[in-house]
Amino acid sequence: MNRRDFFRLASMAGAGVSAAGLSSLVRAATPAQLGTVPSNTGISGRVVVIGGGMAGATVAKYLRLWGGTGVAVTLVERETTYASNILSNLVLNGQRTMTSLQFGYTNLAARYGVGLVKGDVASIDPVSHSVTLTDGRKLVYDRLVVAPGIDFDTIPGLETAAAQAKVPHAWKAGTQTTVLRNQLLAMKPGGVFAMTIPAKPYRCPPGPYERACVVADWLKKNRPGSKVIVLDANPGITAEPLAFANAFNVVHKGVVEYRPGVTINSIDASTMTLNTSAGNLAANVINAIPAHRAGKVISDNKLANVGGRWAGVDVLTYQSTVAPGVHIIGDAAATTQPKAGHIANQEAKICADAIVRLLAGLSPDPSPITNSACYSPITSDTASWLTAVFAYDPVSGSMQPVPGASGEASARSQDNYKEMFKWFNTLMEDSFA
Amino acid sequence: MNRKVTRLRALLWLPVALACTCANAQTTAATPPAGRLLASNCFQCHGYNGKSSIGFERLAGESSSEIYNELREMRTKVPPEMMDLHARGYTDAQIRLIADYLSKQR
Repeated sequence: MNRRDFFRLASMAGAGVSAAGLSSLVRAATPAQLGTVPSNTGISGRVVVIGGGMAGATVAKYLRLWGGTGVAVTLVERETTYASNILSNLVLNGQRTMTSLQFGYTNLAARYGVGLVKGDVASIDPVSHSVTLTDGRKLVYDRLVVAPGIDFDTIPGLETAAAQAKVPHAWKAGTQTTVLRNQLLAMKPGGVFAMTIPAKPYRCPPGPYERACVVADWLKKNRPGSKVIVLDANPGITAEPLAFANAFNVVHKGVVEYRPGVTINSIDASTMTLNTSAGNLAANVINAIPAHRAGKVISDNKLANVGGRWAGVDVLTYQSTVAPGVHIIGDAAATTQPKAGHIANQEAKICADAIVRLLAGLSPDPSPITNSACYSPITSDTASWLTAVFAYDPVSGSMQPVPGASGEASARSQDNYKEMFKWFNTLMEDSFA
Repeated sequence: MNRKVTRLRALLWLPVALACTCANAQTTAATPPAGRLLASNCFQCHGYNGKSSIGFERLAGESSSEIYNELREMRTKVPPEMMDLHARGYTDAQIRLIADYLSKQR
């Protein structure tokens, strides 16, 4: 780090780039297999990243790895750790703990010199290129990356905190995941576990079906005679149709009842009854996943220009189509790609590469490729998988699936189940370590 | 004229060559090394620059032709496993760029 860099960082008034952060950058002992931040790229700039999930953590790391010490990166996050949504369905059957799914930000600071700011965003000013936090601190940027993930609509009947605690979505891993686990434990044999799936697009397309399988598998062994009733607002299974049709009709036959095309009018938490387009249904546990929208910071700052829910972006740079200098990555962005952690990691790399090029006065890569991959547990020791590759299509200006490069596992297997943990560990390392 | 063009070409490649020979991909030019962004699609499972120590096979430092040929073979495998489908997502030229980039990582 040279003098100029030091003063640039130091001059980010109240940015929370502490002296400790700077010294850790200098003496970072980096494991050989991980990258080091180069000091001689000749590129400089200030980038603020809002949100430390899969997309935000990855973009912060790669901006430093690819941009070098001249690119000052400040990550704004309200939580101390990130709770992984991936594998959180395994908290429901007791195979993982929520503690084992926590990922902190100290590696990003110590190994890559990312400045950490714990706080919440009050407003973004794309004209003066600044972000104001709720505590009054102001961060000035050359480029801003917003990665807030998703927010939920409120299902009629679930307006109060008490009702939401009784009918959890558990679709953002955390307290609600534990609540749902405890509700499962409290079920009696012959009980009914009802879950609702919102219309596309929602986070993690195979996730709800995976959850139905994991819960069914656990109930079968631990609360015999129970049922999992899946009410899907979509006309059919939206991801891994072969694996989940087989799971519902064969593996978990008689336990899972899958009902497509059913929408939710309201839920009464006091009587535990769902009012749906296919009539009323009472259940012992209701896991209602509401419709999604981009994280609140997107709509609060007039960035939700697609359907009033999602942020429109140019997928060569992930720059907002309404606010120059503001990039949106991950689940909050309106793209043709799935909303999921693995592909959010790749969107982050494309965004980091584009920002580094833009700071250097170059054009973004004209033909980026992203990939999506994940494993889905079907039972407590078997899993299926799903993968897709997307390439930039200059005609539509969007990422399109490469023909023949998408698909799912031909059968669930124990090998897939073991590989799932390898995949999880390496993906989390690439994003947080 | 040919000699001049050759010399100019050689000069054009100089920054790329420098970028690749430096340890830990310390780039000296503003232009990112060719293939880096494409190859980053491998990092989620194979580690940063293909240097995984905790997951799927390490790719860094394998010969370029080995990586290239392996990816090309994967494209024809039936029924395809996950990597066999993934390999179908890239053109020959893109696979070449990925293989060249990963082979230069140490």
